[in-house]
Amino acid sequence: MRTEARRALLLGAWLLALAGLGAWAWQGLRIGTDLRSFMPPPRTADQALLLEQIGEGPGSRLLLIALEGADSAQLAALSRGLVAALRADARFEQVFNGALDAEAIPPHWLPYRWLLAPTLDAHALDAAYLREELAQRVEDLASPAATLLKPWLARDPTLATLTLAQRWAPPKAPAMRDGVWFARDGAALLLAQTRAPGFDPAAQREAIQALQQAWAGLPGSDQARLVLSGPGWFSVLIDARTRAEADRIGVASTLGFVLLLLLAYRSLPALLLGALPVVSGALAGLAALALWYGQAHGITLAFGFTLLGVAQEYPLRVLSHRRAGEDALASVRVLWPLLATAIVSAAIAYLAFFASGVPGLQQLALFTIVGLLAAGLATRYLLPRVLPTRCRDVEATPGLARATRWLDRVPRPRWLPWLLAVAGAVVLWLAPGPLWQNDLAALTPVPPELLQRDAALRSELGAPDVRYLLVLEASDDDAVLALSERITPQLDALVAQGVLDAVELPSRYLPSLATQRARQARLPDRATLQAALASASADLPFRHGLFEPFVDDVQAARELAPLTPAAFARSPFGARLASMLVPRTHATLGLAALAGVHDAAALAHWAQGSGGKVRLLDLKAASESLVAAWRERILQALGVALVLLALTVGVALRSLRRAWHVLAPMTLATLLVVVVERACGISLSLFHLVAVTLAAGLGLHYALFFEQRPRDAADARRTLHATLVCVLAALLVFGLQALSTLPVLRAIGLTVALGVAFHFCLSILMARGRP
Amino acid sequence: MLLGPALMLAPTTRAAAPEATGAAHIVAALKREVGASTAYSEVRFSGLLDRPLILRGEMQYLGPGRLAKRVDTPYRERTTVEDGSATLQRGERPVRRLELAQVPELDTFLRGFSALLGGDAAALSRDFTLRASGDAARWQLELTPRDARLARRIASIRVDGAGSEPSCFRTREADGDESVLLVGPLAATPLPVRVSPQRLDALCRGIER
Repeated sequence: MRTEARRALLLGAWLLALAGLGAWAWQGLRIGTDLRSFMPPPRTADQALLLEQIGEGPGSRLLLIALEGADSAQLAALSRGLVAALRADARFEQVFNGALDAEAIPPHWLPYRWLLAPTLDAHALDAAYLREELAQRVEDLASPAATLLKPWLARDPTLATLTLAQRWAPPKAPAMRDGVWFARDGAALLLAQTRAPGFDPAAQREAIQALQQAWAGLPGSDQARLVLSGPGWFSVLIDARTRAEADRIGVASTLGFVLLLLLAYRSLPALLLGALPVVSGALAGLAALALWYGQAHGITLAFGFTLLGVAQEYPLRVLSHRRAGEDALASVRVLWPLLATAIVSAAIAYLAFFASGVPGLQQLALFTIVGLLAAGLATRYLLPRVLPTRCRDVEATPGLARATRWLDRVPRPRWLPWLLAVAGAVVLWLAPGPLWQNDLAALTPVPPELLQRDAALRSELGAPDVRYLLVLEASDDDAVLALSERITPQLDALVAQGVLDAVELPSRYLPSLATQRARQARLPDRATLQAALASASADLPFRHGLFEPFVDDVQAARELAPLTPAAFARSPFGARLASMLVPRTHATLGLAALAGVHDAAALAHWAQGSGGKVRLLDLKAASESLVAAWRERILQALGVALVLLALTVGVALRSLRRAWHVLAPMTLATLLVVVVERACGISLSLFHLVAVTLAAGLGLHYALFFEQRPRDAADARRTLHATLVCVLAALLVFGLQALSTLPVLRAIGLTVALGVAFHFCLSILMARGRP
Repeated sequence: MLLGPALMLAPTTRAAAPEATGAAHIVAALKREVGASTAYSEVRFSGLLDRPLILRGEMQYLGPGRLAKRVDTPYRERTTVEDGSATLQRGERPVRRLELAQVPELDTFLRGFSALLGGDAAALSRDFTLRASGDAARWQLELTPRDARLARRIASIRVDGAGSEPSCFRTREADGDESVLLVGPLAATPLPVRVSPQRLDALCRGIER
């Protein structure tokens, strides 16, 4: 009875400690979702720019919005309502629906129109020009449009503000109806730019939820539909889909796992207690991340939990290897040297990830190593002390003896592994398709119908291309603007030739200081302007002195300091330009968004002629090179890990021959997984690599335990039982994942399931000792 | 005795109806044939101007949603409204084109004019509240915009006429500016020497000739 009480007390203390650890880790650990924090440090300028621009580039923060399902008057009203709501929301940098909103310009910014608008490039502000303009205003006043013009007339009779507003409207605007953009199919269109990076699903989700709330709050929105598109929306959508499917699979496989263990051990307490070491490992890993880094990437955790799946084997070994009536602690002591070898060698192998220099991988290593050690120690020192004293010896499981005898008799030709290795190498050589999948998006594909809709919306809205950017490099901000002004006519020509649909250059928003000064220099002084005005309006019916505000504005413009990008950034229109200028240590990069690139080669060829000042950046190519660099690091890390593993196993077993028996099947099985996947035309991605690593970890256990000479026939049966339970559990969990419709889950599931099967078979073939 | 209350009741129960039907009746009678044209003179009073602008030319109804207006003096201009856009040609300058959807106020305003000339009371009452007064020999029809955005620009449009012939379209803008379009026989009438909104009003009502 006293031992029972002690057991309960220890279990209570253990659970309490886990709860405390969990709570602490939960509080101390910030989970990042931004893909960039999981990426390796950039090596090339393009990669650096990509890492900044991935998610922050103008294209990727853009949400394309279509409102449909009601008549156009209703949709237009909703469009205006949505713009008003989102403009008040700090999560959105800017929102457009096509409405020309000249009245939104604060009055004190108005004199700057003389510096910003190209009006004075072609004309001087003299009597002839004014006469021409004013005469037209008289005619405008007699037209039905007079009512729109009147509020502006006194201050801006040359309509420079209107010119500017038109210049700043998106390059290729859709058709207008009821004052807002409409698609040809009758949907109202809007563009919203989030502040959050496009590939930060959590931040995007927040912005999109705000958008959906704003929409739901609009009167009449229940009679229409809100349709979203764009990178941010896709990342949220895919995140949610992956999560939902992973959860569904998780529930199914957990149920199967529980059933399997109940069948194998026929004991509920054993089942529940057996989960504690892995839980301990996971919580310890999280706590270590919280303590060390304070934050972890969502992908680190997802990969980490996958790799920690190895630890589930520790308690299963303890449960399977325990003899009837034997004290659990005694059986663990017997088991421990081998288990410790497995744990320590895996932990040492993961040390290699520390050297990768990639923060995400270092976090992964810390989590996995701490997790494996904690799970191992919990299995060794805590689990046996809380397991019930009575247990069923699995050695008597029906059919197990027959299976063991059959395995003992199965032929094991020594040439078979060599044949497999050679055949595998040949297949690998001949396999179709590229070896590596560098396009991460291929693993989390956006459904084609959504992509089609995105392309349709994008072309209607003339929204920038997500893939291409024009990069302008010059010594400082102003030099970028000047460069942008110089290449404008060339790009206009390319647009005219149909190479691309539109380009949005930085100088569209702000001319260079030189241009602003030149325009300023053309502004007449008060007396000259008044004389010119008087002569221009001599026989026109305008009220005397009507244009004083105009004269004041011109005088104010003469005194203005030309706008620098920094000063411009403080204006209501500055955000757009600010996002287009990227400071570098000794230079500034200007980013020009491109829309509808039809001939990337022609564009790149034109850019080459600029002597390196202008480059066409293919974000897709840059991201693929980044992924390739990342994979290189992982492969190096895995190579080092393999060497470390071999050394550890060799030292632990104190025999090169025994180490070979353990490591050879593991290596060959890993090769065969790759061979089979390649033979099926699958290109390998980072996810495959992680899955292969997990499978190798599991395979190490099979080989280690099979290689160990059993004490007796019953012990051999227990080893087989333990291994079978482990193999079946892994096949169940990862086999279900392999059936997933999502390529990323399928990649992991298929690879681990295949791996487990190969590792098991080859361990029997190459590692298992004859009785 | 029994008839008394019935007779008294009749006008009160129908009090609202005659006006509405009256307005609808007037609008229906205004219907022009497609292609019908009329000369006009237009006088525009604006707070921005010292003296009113006076234009003369010809207006043409080209079918639902389609209008043309030609200015002959003091300058030459041709405006055509069709398919949701307005094109404007002045003298030898290049044609300017304006998508009316970009300026919904203007769109509603022009739609109103086209509905008037098309005799389409139903379309007209979607955008404006109609009020008729006077009798068949000399009536007034007042249009007040329903749309708040248009109301910020245009206070009201008043049409004067007799029988099925309109004589004046007066547009009062929200800022007090006013434009009076004289059509039919009035278009050719010499304008008062010191033209003012009051004098034109009298002219339109037929008080002064």
